[in-house]
Amino acid sequence: MSEKFHAELERLKQDTIAMARLARTMLSDSVNALFLQDCAKAKEVVSNKRPLREMTISLEERAYQLIALYQPMAKDMRVIACILKMITAAERIGRYGKDIANMTKHLQDQPAFAEPLPIQHMADLVTGMIDDAVTSFEGENLDRIKEFPSRDDTVDALWHSIFRETLTFMMEDSTTITRSTYYIMVARYLERSGDHACKMAENIHYMITGERIEIK
Amino acid sequence: MPENTIISAKNLNLWYHETHALQGVSIQILKNNVTALIGPSGCGKSTLLRCFNRLNDLIDHVKITGEINFAHENIHAPGTDVVLLRKRVGMVFQKPNPFPKSVYENVAFGPRVHGTTDKKELDRIVEKSLRQAALWDEVRDRLTDSALGLSGGQQQRLCIARTLAVGPEVILMDEPCSALDPIATAKIENLINVLKQDYTVIIVTHNMQQAARVSDCAGFMYLGKLVEFGETRQIFEHPRETLTENYITGRFG
Repeated sequence: MSEKFHAELERLKQDTIAMARLARTMLSDSVNALFLQDCAKAKEVVSNKRPLREMTISLEERAYQLIALYQPMAKDMRVIACILKMITAAERIGRYGKDIANMTKHLQDQPAFAEPLPIQHMADLVTGMIDDAVTSFEGENLDRIKEFPSRDDTVDALWHSIFRETLTFMMEDSTTITRSTYYIMVARYLERSGDHACKMAENIHYMITGERIEIK
Repeated sequence: MPENTIISAKNLNLWYHETHALQGVSIQILKNNVTALIGPSGCGKSTLLRCFNRLNDLIDHVKITGEINFAHENIHAPGTDVVLLRKRVGMVFQKPNPFPKSVYENVAFGPRVHGTTDKKELDRIVEKSLRQAALWDEVRDRLTDSALGLSGGQQQRLCIARTLAVGPEVILMDEPCSALDPIATAKIENLINVLKQDYTVIIVTHNMQQAARVSDCAGFMYLGKLVEFGETRQIFEHPRETLTENYITGRFG
């Protein structure tokens, strides 16, 4: 019975990794689609919302089933607790990707900025954090999440900087208000996605060590 | 040693013939706590339990070294009254083993042996013990019926009442629910939770969920050694030892 349980738990873990990677791809693809004005790519991201939801529900149900059937303890219990938190965070990240992708069509006819904003850089930092969280979960290794507090500080600083800069653009030139407002939302979604990556890291830390930490 | 320690073992070793069944076990049992001992078959948990009221004395070729203190007194000291020790440290076994007598006589037997003869006093003890064992309401009208006519779960609670009747301080339970169905098991588990207000309970169980549910502290034993001992929550949420982790997550062998 325990072999069956551990085989099912391993499958659940692998499928959680696949789901989190889908969410991460939705986020990075959405930012690319936005800057390249690639409406086909944006549409593809939006179409992934349904499969992402279905994966979340199925993973959740399988986790509950394992709890009900096997009453896991110690590390096994912590892996399942971590999976339940990971999929919630990953689904939020994927949905932010979908929201950013939806902006692509609205920005097509809007005047561009003279000065580029560091949104792409911010997206790279956040997706890097998500990748490292997932790799850390997969290999049960804390190395890649060690620097998350300072990495999250950088993402927060970029969000504040983009917010301030965009306000200036809007005050200088009212024709940029639409684009600016969308950019503020994109930056905010990326900042939130960074926070979700931190939540993943906190739960991975608990899964590996049994100790709770808070990444501020 | 914490002030509320009721039983402590220090570097306890036990041999059955050549078999080294307990190897350097040191443990402290806290008063009014439920302590669970878990581990695979043959790891020494029942042997350790039986050391606490010197039941192993009844087995031939047993050699014990080390020290066990109960209420700050060495139970192996010369002159220890073993009958009194077993009155103060009672035992409930795996299989319900009522005497082939009436319900009343089963409970009154111990107090009688210890010198209580007054009928009124015996009646009081029988009722109080049966109430504490959560059995009174089910047997109050059949006190004179044979105890062998009770269900398995009722028989086990009768055995607990029989133990309580002599006024113990510690109750040792060796797999008390392994012969019972889930409903009877739940009744015994509820009872353990109530009993710890007045008594100290040490329970040996194969059922890890049961250990997690009923105990405050838990010890994991393997091949005669106490591998890990700590608060139940810590043992089942994040054990320190890999061996404990492997056992409670079923990755053993």
